[in-house]
Amino acid sequence: MHSVARARFPVTVSLAILVLALAFVSLGVGAVALSPRAVLAALCDGEGVSGLIVREIRLPRTLLALLIGATFGLSGAALQGLLRNPLAEPALFGAPQAAAAGASLVIAFGFAPVTSLAVPIAGIAGALASIAGLVAIAGRRASLTVTLLAGLALASFAGAATALILNLAPNPYIALEIAFWLLGSLEDRSREHVLLVAPFLVASWAILAPQARAFRALTLGEDAAASLGVDVARTRLAVVIGVATGIGAAISVTGAIGFVGLVAPHLVRRAVGSDPARILVPAALAGAALLLAADIAVRLVPAAVEIKVGVATALVGVPFFLAMIFGERRALEGAPA
Amino acid sequence: MSERTPAPLLAARDVAVRLGRRRVLDGVAIALDRGEIVALVGPNGAGKTTLLRALAGLVDAAGSIAVAGRPLARMAPRERARLVAYLPQGHVFHWPLAAAEIVALGRQPHADPFARTTEADRAAVARALAATGTTAFAERPVTTLSGGERARVALARALATEAPILLADEPTASLDPRHQLLIMEQLREAARAGGAVLAATHDLALAARFADRVAVMQAGRLVANAPPAEALSAERMAAVFGVETVFVEAGGARVPIVHRPL
Repeated sequence: MHSVARARFPVTVSLAILVLALAFVSLGVGAVALSPRAVLAALCDGEGVSGLIVREIRLPRTLLALLIGATFGLSGAALQGLLRNPLAEPALFGAPQAAAAGASLVIAFGFAPVTSLAVPIAGIAGALASIAGLVAIAGRRASLTVTLLAGLALASFAGAATALILNLAPNPYIALEIAFWLLGSLEDRSREHVLLVAPFLVASWAILAPQARAFRALTLGEDAAASLGVDVARTRLAVVIGVATGIGAAISVTGAIGFVGLVAPHLVRRAVGSDPARILVPAALAGAALLLAADIAVRLVPAAVEIKVGVATALVGVPFFLAMIFGERRALEGAPA
Repeated sequence: MSERTPAPLLAARDVAVRLGRRRVLDGVAIALDRGEIVALVGPNGAGKTTLLRALAGLVDAAGSIAVAGRPLARMAPRERARLVAYLPQGHVFHWPLAAAEIVALGRQPHADPFARTTEADRAAVARALAATGTTAFAERPVTTLSGGERARVALARALATEAPILLADEPTASLDPRHQLLIMEQLREAARAGGAVLAATHDLALAARFADRVAVMQAGRLVANAPPAEALSAERMAAVFGVETVFVEAGGARVPIVHRPL
């Protein structure tokens, strides 16, 4: 393993180009296939049916995939940096589960259609409540173990709440609608969804990115990092809040999408090395590329019902992740705990 | 800082730490002067690590701890980090960074958030690598290094801060004899260069050979703080460690060899 990555800058640039290319492809793919030229024309003048399709339907979907994928990648890398553990993933503190519970509640009893804005608003409220709950239970200066256990308790509670909502749903159609929503999709999301969720996503980036230095110092463990001037408790709180804000908001709009946050940092670690600070931007780009690719794939698969992107990331993610674990097994086992 | 500091570099009085209801440290007073290396010895659980962590500002402690005449508790974390370097035991590295990158972490307290690496940083890292003999594998991932190499990289990281005070927790544990001597020599050099070093160790022979003073801890209290020959007397060894000790002359020092349990 070579960690001194002089190649980091080219890797980041290549990833950025890949994300842009995938975003462009995403604008052309769907029930109506559009040529690159038609996509460009539609983007620029926005006229006619293709203009409507690209600007009103595919652009929001593409932007959401890009922004949310980047948030997953960044959150995963940030959590792995905080916990010094390559298996940490964004669902750890319960925010996505809480967001799903909040959204389900509105779908079940708020009489809101699945694509209305009331759903993500309730989801974001659920995620924020989970942060408040976590800080209240664990306290501001709690140890990592206590924070993790509190997160686990909250995640289980939110899962149980979602199950209860499904159980109490007024009629089976609504239960089915919730179940489908939970599978995770970017279909039929509007510009309003983008505008609603983007501030939360950007806020989470603004909270997480400045922790890079602290993550690098944490390579030496919490005590040594603290002796280097890092406020470890504050870093932990910032990561919990940043991840919950971003992932909670993302899940509120899409339903459950897994594995991107876990896999993206692994993908880039091979190319840019293990430095938990330097990996943040490449991991965010890799996350954006992954989710864009998955969302393009579900539109290309010939099926009577569109496969949900959350199902696709889980289906592809698990074997992919297993393959990586086997590939890196020696390195993982050789590394100190 | 002025050249003549009237007070010692580090002065701690009445330091007490409670973990839960247990008092792990009680009424400890210790001072470190420029140029001296002090060994901190005591049985397991005597409070050595807690004392080092308290002096490094890593654990809430009652009493007063002053560095260069100023209270530690009132310093900003980064300012404190520039004055007090702390080397924890175990030499843990969670990610396979290059040794030079690990050593460069020692410069974090000096950098402002947006600054790139400065000339001073590069020079300090190079000095720390050279002092610990780790330049040869500076580019290798730390996870591929041997235990002795890792210990030296960890020490280089602490030295790279160029803080006047270095607190080291068992810096020689699990090292072979030659590396134990090399690390102790490096610590002594850091002290002779104008710093103050406090190193916890279980190796009483090393303590006697290298330390100017030996601080002996027992059950959370400091029971001796004196030159090695006085601090590590046969009576104290029996009282604190429960061992019978014989002494040999080595390198001009009276070196204790633990003989059998009492």
